[in-house]
Amino acid sequence: MEINTNEYQVWTEESTVYFEGTMRLGGTDSYAPVNDLLTQALAANPTALTLDLTGLEFLNSSGINLLAKFTIAVRKQGGVLLTVRGTPRIPWQGKSLPNLKKLYADLVLVIE
Amino acid sequence: MTTPQVFGEEIALPATLERSLRLVFHTARLPLRWSDCSATANFLSAYYAGLFEAEYSAAQTVDLTHSLAYLANELIENAVKFRAPGDVVVETGRHGGELILRLTNFIAPETAGAFRALLAELTAGDPGELLLERIEANAADETSSGSGLGILTLMNDYGIRFCWTFRPAPATDGAIHLETIARLPLPAA
Repeated sequence: MEINTNEYQVWTEESTVYFEGTMRLGGTDSYAPVNDLLTQALAANPTALTLDLTGLEFLNSSGINLLAKFTIAVRKQGGVLLTVRGTPRIPWQGKSLPNLKKLYADLVLVIE
Repeated sequence: MTTPQVFGEEIALPATLERSLRLVFHTARLPLRWSDCSATANFLSAYYAGLFEAEYSAAQTVDLTHSLAYLANELIENAVKFRAPGDVVVETGRHGGELILRLTNFIAPETAGAFRALLAELTAGDPGELLLERIEANAADETSSGSGLGILTLMNDYGIRFCWTFRPAPATDGAIHLETIARLPLPAA
């Protein structure tokens, strides 16, 4: 499954969901396709799941809320090793992704 | 409401900021669209990049321009979502060791009431703790859009200080004039 727009792309390869571009959508309804993609990835009951954000230049707070909600869904499901990959090249990631680790201590956050 | 009401940290700013830029969206003549939020944030970020480059390292410049882009996008998104008819004014500039973003728009009285109640909560505790609490509460409610999270991320993740002033605007059918001042700390040169 994949989402392709002029501004951003989201797609799944094996157990990794990749995000690229700029995501500044207008709230829960606009983010529904991305949320559906993440929900499907989790519904497959994987033992490990990675969110690769290293190509996501900008994300608005509605998008951060989406990632936070997904982190909590993974925590509640249990048995899934969740890894979130970011890069120090993109400042919002170093500032806001550590909040996900506070929501779910078992989450592996890699910013390199 | 007959007198101004202030939330956050009050600050007295000069009428015109140092190195300032002022954008006025005359929304009666041209609509303000969702995509304009991102476009304006990117423009401000690119414009100030030139000023930052002269004073700061490459890494500091990247950090500041991204912070400004996130800040401007969040505040203009809020204005687009909640505004009543009238001009939307975005002003940026330096003041002391901070980059200021001042945004003014009009909002309906009932919107103002809801926003004042939200601000009373957001300014009553530690933003980091409030952020996690609200994320947990939002996750428990499928329909929640996460209101307030943008402001809390700006305060907690970016160290931005805010002042919101609500003023009556008698000439606008009871609408309230809202001024949002955001202060982004600049690195010591």
